[in-house]
Amino acid sequence: MRTNILLGLGLCLLLLGLAACAALDSGMDLPFRHLSAEDLGESPKTCTNCHDARGEKLAFGDFVHNATWMQNHRMQAYQHEQVCAMCHQTSFCNDCHATRVELKPSDKNDTETYRQMPHRGDYLSRHRIDGRIDPTSCFRCHGNPKMSKTCAPCHG
Amino acid sequence: MGIFSCSGGSMRTSASFGRFLGLAILLALCMPISVLAAEVSVKSDTLLRIFQRDTATKTDAAVTPFYEYLQVDVDTPDEPGLAFHLYGWGRWDMVDNDYYSDATAGELLYGYLEYTRKEAHFNARLGRQQVFEGVANEAIDGLRVSSDLGKYFSGSLYAGQPVGLSTENGRDGDIIYGGRLANHLASWYDLGVSYKKIENNSKEAEETAGVDLSAYFPAGISLYGFSSYNTSYKGWGEHSYELRFPVGPVSLRPYFQKFQYQDYFGTGANSASPFRALVNSDEELTVFGSDLTLPVGDSWTLVAKAKHYDYKILAGSSQYLAAQATWSSERHYQIGGEIGFMNGDDDQNKYTLVRLFTYCDQLPEGVPLGFVSGDLVYVSYNQDIYGEGRSLFASLGVGQKYLDDALELKLSGDYSADPYFDKDLRAMLTVSYHFDRNL
Repeated sequence: MRTNILLGLGLCLLLLGLAACAALDSGMDLPFRHLSAEDLGESPKTCTNCHDARGEKLAFGDFVHNATWMQNHRMQAYQHEQVCAMCHQTSFCNDCHATRVELKPSDKNDTETYRQMPHRGDYLSRHRIDGRIDPTSCFRCHGNPKMSKTCAPCHG
Repeated sequence: MGIFSCSGGSMRTSASFGRFLGLAILLALCMPISVLAAEVSVKSDTLLRIFQRDTATKTDAAVTPFYEYLQVDVDTPDEPGLAFHLYGWGRWDMVDNDYYSDATAGELLYGYLEYTRKEAHFNARLGRQQVFEGVANEAIDGLRVSSDLGKYFSGSLYAGQPVGLSTENGRDGDIIYGGRLANHLASWYDLGVSYKKIENNSKEAEETAGVDLSAYFPAGISLYGFSSYNTSYKGWGEHSYELRFPVGPVSLRPYFQKFQYQDYFGTGANSASPFRALVNSDEELTVFGSDLTLPVGDSWTLVAKAKHYDYKILAGSSQYLAAQATWSSERHYQIGGEIGFMNGDDDQNKYTLVRLFTYCDQLPEGVPLGFVSGDLVYVSYNQDIYGEGRSLFASLGVGQKYLDDALELKLSGDYSADPYFDKDLRAMLTVSYHFDRNL
């Protein structure tokens, strides 16, 4: 109990410190929202159509949504959540990254075949092999008690 | 238990989280009128699925789950200030054939009040939310605050109750807290250190620290990396690093990953059943490989992938090789294909995968459809699974938008013949509705 109170006080102090420093700007002034496909007349998936690949604010070339983006956006998302948020709401990410969803992403978005969704087709059979070879890839999304409910009927 | 989580057909709401959400809604209602002169947006996706399954009491019983995904946003688009965001899903089995253990189920994925200031990118969120902060990819019921800390630093802190542990022995004594401090120089580098601690019933469940890095070098070379340290087991759980650079028109992404199972899977009470056994295996997995992407003209993209898996204890190694070709128009019209080979350490870990797909939203005039989609996935296994050596999946979908694109109807049908299902047919109708109004 005493530990929790001390932790709470510590967090409050850190929050106050954070709030006090909040007046200091980083200068990386990205907009809250990106122009939409309707505004641009095209889907803004290829950043380098308008921005330099190595811009002053961002390495736009590393954010191009090419054919491997669905599998490889992890590193960019770790550090640049606000860049993702310019076009996507969290609900978009929640199709795959959420504490508990019942439908796999490719089932919920069955007709969006262009999105290269994970687990497309009969993944029930294929996961036996992928899971044996690299269980770390399963753990990232199914690693906590609530998300592992999907695994429980067979794995207990 | 989440606010929508139910069992036995009766809705039960977590009292503590109910109070929390109640407070958030109350705060939302207290927003100044000028802020409420904003925009409310409601997005609803209603899914009706139909398929057959054998249940404990019936053979080929019809299963007809009805899903509702509801998203509500109240904010001032393009402007900082106060906002409220909510998103969740619920499922109801229309013909309760015991296929689902609960006839109804659901989850509030997020529901939070947000305050944003343009100065220093200050952001505060109160309520249920998904936190992506270095070592944290967690849903919490709590508070998260982030801000720039001058020109070269930024920081974030969060604390609350972990949603992922809400099914483990109630929520008393469950706590999660952590944060990330980053040092950055725009267009040069971003270096972050992060920390996360989770307690379950006041006992330590997980404690992790991590480092994340992006660095930009001349000639278009970028380096990205992430390492996590398990402070409970006192070892590095993961190292993941990748380079990205162009060679003429080709983009290359070589990468390297190393996982120590004890430190990666050793997350105490936060761990889950299929992975718990791996904690004591003393195994180390090393993965390296590269992607190669080559645009050809304005429409074609060719991709090659190679991945190698090596183990400290398990004898042998595995490789995955794949090639992909996609043709796409300026809009969403795409045709593509992929062929991949998983060459595992023995026959039971080998397969060949072929996928062909299309999505066409440029149909001839007179066709009363907005799009047609198709997908075909064929997998051949070197060693039979339940006496079957292959999987075949085929999917066909159509859709159309109405009411100035506010309403969209989608219908899809799937066929699968595989080791688990002889001839499985599934259908799904999706009704999506988007409503915006200025308050």
